[in-house]
Amino acid sequence: MNAKELSFDEIKVGDNASFYRVFMEDEVMKFAELSGDMNPLHTDISYAEGTQFKQRLVHGMLLGSLCSRFVGMCIPGKRCLYLSQNLSFKNPVFIGDEIEVVGTVIFKSEATKILTINIVMKKGKDVVVLGEAKVQVI
Amino acid sequence: MKTFNQIVEELFGVKEENIKDELSSKDIPNWDSMNYLLFIAELEKEFSMSFSMDEVMNAQTLGDLRVLVEKNKK
Repeated sequence: MNAKELSFDEIKVGDNASFYRVFMEDEVMKFAELSGDMNPLHTDISYAEGTQFKQRLVHGMLLGSLCSRFVGMCIPGKRCLYLSQNLSFKNPVFIGDEIEVVGTVIFKSEATKILTINIVMKKGKDVVVLGEAKVQVI
Repeated sequence: MKTFNQIVEELFGVKEENIKDELSSKDIPNWDSMNYLLFIAELEKEFSMSFSMDEVMNAQTLGDLRVLVEKNKK
């Protein structure tokens, strides 16, 4: 997979891109190790079964990492300098769920070459994560 | 829509009661070059306006930026 290489002028408000991603058990466990977040809601089946969710959740920040993929690979891609990101976790995502990631450019600042990108992650019709990224096109 | 002062508080971390037009990067620790660009981009987004690079580079104080916003509203 190659990163796009869009210039600031090539990108227009309303431009969008999307991709799908499924996180499997081994990836959730790797993220738990990498981040140090070994919370049993993500790593312990029997614990998770005893919660309201009944199964293990994908870490919110592992989902958040898809925002990094979006700006680094899709829009703007190679020329991206990631400046800020906010995230809201709206619904649980379980191991094996297919997530659609859609990012849309909602604002361009000509003076600073900063893009504001709205990122929505959905599981079927349900929104699971909302985010807003600010990136500079270098 | 956010106000100018709300954006100052959000991006520069200055409480609304402490915001004064004469404040500059010397007075606001969070006013670094990257945060300044984010601040400008947020002003443009919230007020649906576009500044020139010269306007952005010449502004020295919050008052300069407030004037810039008001000028671009007209």
